[in-house]
Amino acid sequence: MVIEKNDENKKMEPGGRNLVLLGVFATLIAVITTGVSLMLYHNSGDIYLDRSRPGFLPDEEEAEEERVEEEYTFSRSGKITGEVLDELLKNLDLEIQSIDAYDDQFGEGALSDERLGIPLELDDKTN
Amino acid sequence: MRRNAISLFVIAMVLMTSVFSGVAKGISEAQSQNLKEHCDEVREKLKIVQKNDAKTRVFLGSKYETILNKYIVPLNVRLVENNLSSNGLIDLQNSFAETRAVFNADYINYQQSLENLVTIDCKTEPDKFYNELSIVRKKRLTMEQDVLKMRNLLTQYVKSITELKGKM
Repeated sequence: MVIEKNDENKKMEPGGRNLVLLGVFATLIAVITTGVSLMLYHNSGDIYLDRSRPGFLPDEEEAEEERVEEEYTFSRSGKITGEVLDELLKNLDLEIQSIDAYDDQFGEGALSDERLGIPLELDDKTN
Repeated sequence: MRRNAISLFVIAMVLMTSVFSGVAKGISEAQSQNLKEHCDEVREKLKIVQKNDAKTRVFLGSKYETILNKYIVPLNVRLVENNLSSNGLIDLQNSFAETRAVFNADYINYQQSLENLVTIDCKTEPDKFYNELSIVRKKRLTMEQDVLKMRNLLTQYVKSITELKGKM
């Protein structure tokens, strides 16, 4: 008699079962949509353009430099005079100078055998 | 019939030779041994390159975007408003935008290869690692060429504005 009562307690109420099912389905949907999103994020290549991912966050100094930069925008309206173009050229020159001053713009040196610590000579295995 | 068979055989042999001669070129024993011994260090150096490249891409990408949206496009809009001819500058704007898109696409392609390279275990597969490294180097060279193209476009742009200023 006591055993029967325990079995009855172990049986789940229909409402409780539905709640568990809801939880399981919600978790499954979350896992699937997150997986698909991550797959799209990776396959589209956006992951490589994103610097907010772990290990690629900007250094503190870098963030400071970005904040210090002055904003200049050439106005879309108004007369065009020599002075206006002079101002544009002056500001554009500053931008170009900062580009030129940037070190290692995908130069081949970074992946050279020497820099990676691999011996220099190549061997043709057919010989 | 027999001649055809012989010619086919000769063509097949030539093709096979060219394919295998490409594969056979690899790294020397010394390189292979060195790669195995210093595999972890090489991979760490590649990760640093990866991080520096991300920094460079963001820097150059934001500069190109700034120049396009705050200089090139507004000037062309203003030229149209003033009924001034700007055919050359519009062509430059298109070339600049296209090359910038190519720069981004090439960067993704290069980074995918670099990531693939970092995942190869050079302790067990030094040859495969080195072959992949050669591919990554070619893609990095493409990146360098993209940067040069952008720089040349900027030079042309400055020249065009200077000429325009001379006409004022």
